[in-house]
Amino acid sequence: MDQALAVLVVHDIKNSLALLEADLEQLNHRPDMPEEAHKAHQRCIELKNRLISFLTLYKHEQGRLKPNLGEIELSEFLEDMISGSQSVTMAGKHGHSIEVNVAEDRIRIAPGVKHKGIATLDEYLLDLALESALNNAVRYAGSKVDIWFEQDADSVTFFVQDDGPGLTTHETAAEKPSSTGVGLSLCNAVTEAHGGGEVSLANAAGGGALFKIGFGLVG
Amino acid sequence: MQERPDANAMASMIGGKQDSVESEYIRFDQLTALVIDDIGAMRHALRSQLQWMGMNSVKCVADAEEALEAIGITRYDLILCDYNLNKASSGQHFLEHLRHEHMLSARTIFVMVTAEAEYAFVANAAEFAPDDYILKPCPEKKLRARLERQFDRRNFLLSALTAMDAKDYPLVVSECERLLALTINERWLLAGLKLKAEAQHAMGDTPGMLKTYEQALALRDNVPWVKIGIARVRLLMNEPAAAEEMAKQIIADNPNYVAAYELLADIRHLEKDDEGAYALMEQSAKILPTAKRFRTTAESAFLLGKLDEAKTLSQSAIKLSGGSMTERPDDYLSLAQIQTDMGDHQAAIQTLEKSARKFEEKGSFGISKNAILAQAYADAGDTAKAKKLLERSQRLLTPESGSAAMNTLGKAAFKTGDHILGLKMLTQAVQSSGEERERIARHVTKSMIDTGQHDKIDEVIDAGQKRILVLVEEAKKSMHVAQFDIAHEKVLEALEIQPDNIEALLGAAQLHLLWLKQEGMDDEVKARAKVYLATLDKLVPHNEKVMGFYRFYNQLTGE
Repeated sequence: MDQALAVLVVHDIKNSLALLEADLEQLNHRPDMPEEAHKAHQRCIELKNRLISFLTLYKHEQGRLKPNLGEIELSEFLEDMISGSQSVTMAGKHGHSIEVNVAEDRIRIAPGVKHKGIATLDEYLLDLALESALNNAVRYAGSKVDIWFEQDADSVTFFVQDDGPGLTTHETAAEKPSSTGVGLSLCNAVTEAHGGGEVSLANAAGGGALFKIGFGLVG
Repeated sequence: MQERPDANAMASMIGGKQDSVESEYIRFDQLTALVIDDIGAMRHALRSQLQWMGMNSVKCVADAEEALEAIGITRYDLILCDYNLNKASSGQHFLEHLRHEHMLSARTIFVMVTAEAEYAFVANAAEFAPDDYILKPCPEKKLRARLERQFDRRNFLLSALTAMDAKDYPLVVSECERLLALTINERWLLAGLKLKAEAQHAMGDTPGMLKTYEQALALRDNVPWVKIGIARVRLLMNEPAAAEEMAKQIIADNPNYVAAYELLADIRHLEKDDEGAYALMEQSAKILPTAKRFRTTAESAFLLGKLDEAKTLSQSAIKLSGGSMTERPDDYLSLAQIQTDMGDHQAAIQTLEKSARKFEEKGSFGISKNAILAQAYADAGDTAKAKKLLERSQRLLTPESGSAAMNTLGKAAFKTGDHILGLKMLTQAVQSSGEERERIARHVTKSMIDTGQHDKIDEVIDAGQKRILVLVEEAKKSMHVAQFDIAHEKVLEALEIQPDNIEALLGAAQLHLLWLKQEGMDDEVKARAKVYLATLDKLVPHNEKVMGFYRFYNQLTGE
């Protein structure tokens, strides 16, 4: 992590802490405000997640991000991922609700795959990468986000698609290092820790933004 | 991928998974949980998370000792255990201890809570892996999603798991068969097959076990427990080469799978390659260092005469278990015996003094303690003191005294010049060793070599027993390949030498049960099975193995 980014990260965290402090101060005066308590809690979670992302990136740049490989049942994993996702919870609480689903009909498994629907990956790193993509997607989505995977004999790719305005908004956001930029760096770190893969964010054919993260699989 | 959604839908239906939050709330509401964490704030956080899911009955404890106590009183549905319990023992040691001592109910779900740095170790623990592990901090929703998966699987297998807790193995098998036909969820299928194989193992149904493992292998060809299962069956069926190859394959794929090293060590012992066995045990202790593993490796080193290594390993066992509920008086005795044999009498006496402050001087411990002290003083030239200690040791002797204690006493007798007592004790040690015979025989042999009694080894070890054991072994080998007539002849020959030999009777009972199971009801075989079981029940009342055989018999005959 270069110094400029490190400074930015520290500022980012400081700003979030200031907001959290303001929320808590409010609560101190008015303990009967569940909305405020909820907001403070969400801010705290966001802050924590951002710290985890930064630390993961830092670890990667030190060459110390080693995957703990284990077998993952992919459909099951995605379902759990959504039901446990804080981004999804937050999206649900922001006035309009965003529906996040595993798009079963878009899941594709190539005929040559030996262990169908099962891949050997680091569950926690994968969760971290997808959570950051999901976090981004629910922020720009109109009403829904789809998540699915495609499996070939030697690779597995995960997709997150929203029905938002598409990439122009994302792009401007990504130009200056922001949560999207850090999110993509984090995803790259996760694939690199697994021995390489591809990460991309592009406009989807039917509108909205499409995030892809692919892993090459050995054995 | 089209079958997946169907599989899940069906699995959810059978597993009782329901979509409404309310009914899930009720489901968690009836579960009991135990939280083990040394940090108060973490205990509190986990407890509130569980309570938010609806679990009202959550007990929190700070360490493994308190946890053992709690587990001894209540059967928990869920145990959430922090990996980092304290300096002396990790959650992994604790889990392994629970599994070894059969203290975990089959219905209990054990989840390890780890920090990132410890995660690799837990994930690699393979055979002693928990049901699941979560990385902390784990948000409530994530924890809930993972626990729901675990409880879905458990609820699906609940009737079979309950039968497992009741040690009703035939019922476990039939329940597993019924349930396995209901699902195509691969994970549930594997869990069901694993449980079925465990029950078949407990019943000694080797061919059944092989079939179950092969079913699992057809489902998935890269699961270590399936492979180690097949390797163990191959060894039972007297195919050590096939077993060895399979175990080596497992290690090539999973270098940290300790059970594979231990199986290889067993095979090396069988091939009389004790050095090879020791090297493998050393490796397994390095991968997953537990008091138990250090203990057995120390014993192996001691029997090979590697006293320096034995001393270090034995000290490690004491260090790991010291002050905890897994502490064993035998560890101090072993260390003191090693120190005596090394000629370091002072250290041996110190070790025993230390142990005397912890454990009462009675039973086998008292016998061994005084006997080792007698050896130390005899070696140091203080014959008068040695004789006094020998007498004290002898006074504690009862018909129930353990073989290991008799061995130590015998060795002390030889060292103080009482050859008659020495011969008597060592012969008795072998004769009363039961299922531990091979191990005790190796210890007795060593005691005799150490005290210059080479010429009498055969006389002491054998005393008619050797032939019986060879015959029982041969009978079991024939039984595992379904040659029941041949197996029966061997057992009869063994029982002719000693009609009340427990090993021979157990072999005979097991053989007849499998005979009935595989070749169908035969009145003569049935009648004989009944006689063997009745004889055993009289000789070793309330024996778990015999009771298991009885249930198997009742299920087969419908009596």
